[in-house]
Amino acid sequence: MSGRRLLTLLVAGVLLPAGLGGCGIPAETDVQVDGSVPAAEAGSLNGSPAPPPAPTDSGEPVPFIENYLRAAAAGERDQAYTRARKFLAEEARDLLPGKPQTSEVELTVVRLLAKPESTPRNNQGTFTVTLKVQQVGVLRADGTLGPPGATETRYVFELRRAAPTGAGLLITNLPNVLLTSDSALREYYRTRTVYFWNSDLSRLVPDLRYLPSSVPAERRVTEVVKWLAGGPSDWLASGVTGLPDGTRPINNATGTDSTWEVNLTMPGANAERLRRLGTQLAWSLPELTGQLELKIQNQKRFSVDLERERTTNPAYPPGAAPTRFSVYDGVIHPLAIGNERRDAVPLPAAENRNVVSASLARAREQVLAALVVTGPDRRLRLKVGTGPEPVAVFNRSDDTFGSMSRPTWLRSLDENRAAGFVAADGRLYRFNGAAELSLVPLNVSGNVVAVAGSLDGHRIALVAGGAVYVAPVNVEGGVVSLGQPRRLPTLLTGVTAVDWITEDQLVFAGNDPDRRSAIHQLAVDGAWEPPLANEIGAPVTQLAAYPGGGDRGLPSLSFMFETNGSAWRNNPIDFVTPEQVLDLPAGSRTANPTVPFFLY
Amino acid sequence: MGGFAYLIADKITNILLENAETDVRMRLSNGSEYAAKQFNLYSQPQEAQLQDTIDGTVNYLAGGDPAQTSGVVVAITADNFAEFIEPRVSPEVPVRAVIGDELRATVASGKVAHQIRTGTLGGERTKYLVYGSPVPTRFGQVELYYLVPLARQDATAADARATVVATGVALVLLLGLLAALVTRLVVTPVRVAARTAQRLSAGLLDQRMVVSGEDDLALLAASFNQMATNLQRQILRLEEMSRLQRRFTSDVSHELRTPLTTVRMAADLIFAEREEFDPAVARSAELLQAELDRFEELLTDLLEISRFDAGFAVLDSEPTDLVPVVHRVTERLAGLAERVGVTIELDLPGTPVIAEVDPRRVERVLRNLVGNAVEHGEAKPVRITLGIDQSAVAITVRDHGVGLKPGEEKLVFNRFWRADPSRARQTGGTGLGLSISLEDARLHGGWLEAWGAPGQGAQFRLTLPARAGDRLTTSPLRLVPADATLPFGGPRDGGLLAIGPGSAGALAVGPADTDRAEARP
Repeated sequence: MSGRRLLTLLVAGVLLPAGLGGCGIPAETDVQVDGSVPAAEAGSLNGSPAPPPAPTDSGEPVPFIENYLRAAAAGERDQAYTRARKFLAEEARDLLPGKPQTSEVELTVVRLLAKPESTPRNNQGTFTVTLKVQQVGVLRADGTLGPPGATETRYVFELRRAAPTGAGLLITNLPNVLLTSDSALREYYRTRTVYFWNSDLSRLVPDLRYLPSSVPAERRVTEVVKWLAGGPSDWLASGVTGLPDGTRPINNATGTDSTWEVNLTMPGANAERLRRLGTQLAWSLPELTGQLELKIQNQKRFSVDLERERTTNPAYPPGAAPTRFSVYDGVIHPLAIGNERRDAVPLPAAENRNVVSASLARAREQVLAALVVTGPDRRLRLKVGTGPEPVAVFNRSDDTFGSMSRPTWLRSLDENRAAGFVAADGRLYRFNGAAELSLVPLNVSGNVVAVAGSLDGHRIALVAGGAVYVAPVNVEGGVVSLGQPRRLPTLLTGVTAVDWITEDQLVFAGNDPDRRSAIHQLAVDGAWEPPLANEIGAPVTQLAAYPGGGDRGLPSLSFMFETNGSAWRNNPIDFVTPEQVLDLPAGSRTANPTVPFFLY
Repeated sequence: MGGFAYLIADKITNILLENAETDVRMRLSNGSEYAAKQFNLYSQPQEAQLQDTIDGTVNYLAGGDPAQTSGVVVAITADNFAEFIEPRVSPEVPVRAVIGDELRATVASGKVAHQIRTGTLGGERTKYLVYGSPVPTRFGQVELYYLVPLARQDATAADARATVVATGVALVLLLGLLAALVTRLVVTPVRVAARTAQRLSAGLLDQRMVVSGEDDLALLAASFNQMATNLQRQILRLEEMSRLQRRFTSDVSHELRTPLTTVRMAADLIFAEREEFDPAVARSAELLQAELDRFEELLTDLLEISRFDAGFAVLDSEPTDLVPVVHRVTERLAGLAERVGVTIELDLPGTPVIAEVDPRRVERVLRNLVGNAVEHGEAKPVRITLGIDQSAVAITVRDHGVGLKPGEEKLVFNRFWRADPSRARQTGGTGLGLSISLEDARLHGGWLEAWGAPGQGAQFRLTLPARAGDRLTTSPLRLVPADATLPFGGPRDGGLLAIGPGSAGALAVGPADTDRAEARP
């Protein structure tokens, strides 16, 4: 090999890697433009966030404090502290330190029992505003209103002028909870009902939540999905089944008017679970129509037509069309109110005697009848009969009682294993189709005087010791168990009767602060208590309502009650006359109809 | 080869990069679409859930679990809403240094753009393909960035490069080896053949090539050997013939000398007694004597020639002054010159002209030249010129006889050559004189040359090296006499020569037409 060739080879050997060194991936390049993206049209979404109250809105101490109470609720929960602290003087900011995690931000909801009292400006140039309150509950991150955590009945605020000469005010001393009022909650929040499956996975149980009205419609799906993933309200938890542990939404639910897309992480997701979740969502998003697509870990797994799902799969059996009845001279008779639907008593005349109060319910083709009857010994007994109309076979309870409330049927059980509750002699009993009574242990004080089951059959309302309670009912494999009752804050005291008037509202009767009898409506968590009937002369002894809504032949929020030995109805409030009692035998003595109730 | 390797490596790098870019562009497009959907739920940048949504979106786009990412970093920034929205990166690494200002400005102006940047994002310094896209929202624009590490592509490109380099080097080595092998197989035998041919041409007639195998080279070698053998045989045959011929000449000369001596003695006797014979016989005796002289002279020359031919001639060099030699020669030929009416003019330097020569041979050459000049001088003067320079001495002999025809300058040195075969010799020339003179000059390492032109006489020039054994390069004297006229009349004194096309494609040289010539100073 000649020297020249060797040299060429060497040069090639040196130059080759050197030359190739230049053709790797460069360390830095120029910016290269790949295209452009059109800007989205600006615009606001549905939902009009009312501007939150500002400290400058009022220069008077009482409106100022009222605005302060509204401020915490006036907007999204995450920024509640920020809004509230605008009302605080610099030196008081540390009294309301805020929370490190937005999920820990809780609003203490109170009901003002009186107009806030303001003391005039004192020597130091400060005002004092005193609030008399009733604790209503704690609004949590998941939109539930939990039972109150505090017991204070008075809150005192100290204020000073923001500037020595100006009219503005600032709070200098305050209770270190984030306070808001029930009226502010109503003003700035909307109630929503989400649904959870019962233990048998056979029907849906409503669960009441609160959503700020500032949340635009587009985000409501996301919020609802978060709530469903987060599980039911604490008080309801023992009665229902949540989604599998570890279920959580992946980012926001997105969509257009016709198609929504929900992306989830769900351990053990299968077709059945997704189908159930689809039904849950359909009912929890009643305003949406169109398709909803469920994605699990970005994989499209299930699609549901929301409207059709609601039509084909009711949350729970709605029951039959309601008709009114009442007891007239110990016998159940139908009532004729206006042009409303009326129905014959589904009992043989032989069994329709000596009735004190009654609860009738329809379950498919069967009628469930629970009657409180008086025996020859003037003692009260429970008489239960189930079967196709007319109910032929009746069982009588062995036990007798001095007092018994109107019984209530649990609608969550199938008709062959029907069961219900009744309060007797101040205690709660469960009964079955054979009229066997068993005592239900309850961790509440006072005598139980009334009980009412909800339309879905998984919640009951109780009156014990003059207070209203709600409790979840767990029905698993035919075994009925009652969860821990939750006492609801009410304005009325000495409550005597209760029933369900919507799926998450109660109607109850008690004494107003002036010791006059009144009937109020009450949210199932106690947050809202509008009056329905006031200034009733005597205590309300019986109360019955139809919870199924206004589209079944009755006006919505229809209820009937008994006071002073006569039956009354609402819409408008009027007493039920004997002429409205049907099927009276000829020549019967004149009496007042009592114990009115609805059959549905 | 280098260019090809560069091309391959560059192509591989480009393909890798293009794949990465396509991949990221797709992810970016999907990510941007997803983010736009997510952010479309917000109409105010200060909305509470927006930051959470940004966090969630970034995590979602980065693949959720930061521990399992492939090193892809996703970032969402909102340069327009810095007071409300914090930029979010997943996994949590400082990306500001890697996302260049220029790229940010470009993306902020609503363009999808990309750039390769090198930076350190938690760990090693890596090249990143940074893609940015604006995400349009109801409240304005946020920016989505994907930072994809190119470590794998870089490594692959480096691997490919290394492979290409290794292959290239191996290929170059292989080619070199192959070339060497081919050289060894082809060039070496050719070179050997060339060397053999050189040695052969140098006279080593017994040189042969090695014949191996049956390829073209073997055929060449065989043919070459065949040729060499034939040549050798021919040359040997010719040599042998030449040797025999010379031997014959020598032998004949020697063999003739003995009887000639006897004949000579007898002829001398007869010639001495010619007065006593009748005039006719006496005339015969004289003729006999003269022819015998010529015969003897011829024989001597033949012997001399055969000595040259046999290579027995030996040079007896000694420093000699050539001036006396010239004098001696002219004196000896003075009689003949006087007889034919020729005057001999000498043009000799005043100082001795010393050269290392064999005086006997130089004298013989001169005698021959001057004799010839006198003989052909046609009663016109003969001029002898002696010249010297550092390395050589030269003697020219000029006559003004009939001269030589073109081409005869060479022929005159042939043995037994006559200018005019029909012309009778006046002197007893043997026809070998100039041949012997030429051999003498060659023996000295000198030149003997002739010039002549019809009607202008002739000039012979003898040039000898001043020191024996030196090589001659020039002669101190001109071969063509100064008074000679060129065939075309020659240029006028100081005139120009013109060269131009002549008849029959020849080149014509003649005096330039001064009126037309473009004289160039």
